[in-house]
Amino acid sequence: MEHVVEHGPAFAWLRVGLAPGETIQAEAGAMVRRDVGVGMDTRLNAGYAAGFFRKIMAFFVALVRKMLGGETLFVNTFTGPASGSSEVVLAPSLSGQIVHHKLDGRTQLIVQAGSYLASTGSIDTKLRWGGLRMLLSREGLFLLECTGQGDLFITSYGDIIPVQVDGDYVVDTGHMVAYEGNLDFTVGGAGGGLKGLFLSGEGLVMTFRGTGTLYLQSRNVQGLVGWLTPMLR
Amino acid sequence: MQINIKYRPTFALAEVQLQPGEMVRAESGAMVSMSSHVQVSTDATMGGKGGLLGMLKRATLGGESFFTNRFTAAGAPGEVTLAPTLAGDMVVHELTADHALFIQGSSFVACQDGISLDTKFQGMKGFFSGENLFFLKATGDGPVVLNAFGGIETLDLDGELVVDTGHVVAFTSGLDYTVTKASKGWIDSFLSGEGLVLNFSGRGRLWLQSRNPGAYGKTVGALLPARKE
Repeated sequence: MEHVVEHGPAFAWLRVGLAPGETIQAEAGAMVRRDVGVGMDTRLNAGYAAGFFRKIMAFFVALVRKMLGGETLFVNTFTGPASGSSEVVLAPSLSGQIVHHKLDGRTQLIVQAGSYLASTGSIDTKLRWGGLRMLLSREGLFLLECTGQGDLFITSYGDIIPVQVDGDYVVDTGHMVAYEGNLDFTVGGAGGGLKGLFLSGEGLVMTFRGTGTLYLQSRNVQGLVGWLTPMLR
Repeated sequence: MQINIKYRPTFALAEVQLQPGEMVRAESGAMVSMSSHVQVSTDATMGGKGGLLGMLKRATLGGESFFTNRFTAAGAPGEVTLAPTLAGDMVVHELTADHALFIQGSSFVACQDGISLDTKFQGMKGFFSGENLFFLKATGDGPVVLNAFGGIETLDLDGELVVDTGHVVAFTSGLDYTVTKASKGWIDSFLSGEGLVLNFSGRGRLWLQSRNPGAYGKTVGALLPARKE
């Protein structure tokens, strides 16, 4: 599938060209423009479900993903027409960058739930609980395990910075977008005990251990929320 | 009048150089800086009837309030710099008598005085209730400065295209449009999150922005504490 990211790194959008019958799935509301021949179908964000009972289950899974993971309840699938122009442009709602990640069926990418934009092929996303301590930090609370084969597109608030980890690495929870490889993490305060947790203004951090690649974003949504909140009257 | 757009594409600023006596009309609040001898007058009757009271009513009760200021370089060349509220790119379009320009409300920055801006033209009102958008119709001769939320894409369209309404900056009168729901059914359209889309056809120029202000507002708004009534 032809794809190009334009207007990055601050206001990136994704332009794709679909072969006849080729599909791309995107979070609801992401479409900017599409050629008239491109088909658009809407379905629940819970994997492919057939049969009545499975559809009910799919609805509940999608609802949980929306309420807890901040993902959209529905996803849209765009299909390339048999002939004619087949372009679709997708954009996330916040400002920032979009990166393409190819999954080959053998590896997985763990993505912060709000950072999923679109995917193709057999890529499946499984919602994973980030751990009890993550409850205190609104971001990164739910992670998506992306597996399968195809093209995956993730977004960031700000620019995306890849970091090669070999050993230990500490990241602010709000700045973590995705990671892959042989990495594990623990969540805790940045240092300075309880006083440090509340007074340093740093919130929670994730300490990654192992070997792999970590993707960070250069801005923090909770920072924006904290800045805007006192301005509301 | 010379207009130079600086600091593209993310935090663009328009620098307008005026000859003596020349006037530029800009959206209220857009002025960043100006030469000390530039005179400002506020256009209080823009956008409808009712005089001062009508204007105040529209401003406080919401709805389409669109106000402009006129900047004149008195006696000597002068400069005015203008910036929109939203972060993103800006572009200048030379409007000519052979076409009209339809501009999304939050995308108008400025135009040469003499260009006529109409907020009450037939056809657009009512379609966008719920989307919180309104369009201006610009006709005349001279430069028009447009801004985008995010990056700007300039398309010279000859054919058809389906576009999300919140991503439209402006389009020329050669394009016909119909407003439709995004998906096949009403429930699907609501659930798909796409809302209303514009189906453009014909020949003309279309400018799109890479972010949707309504979607950005909803996403951030959902994270903010509830307002106290």
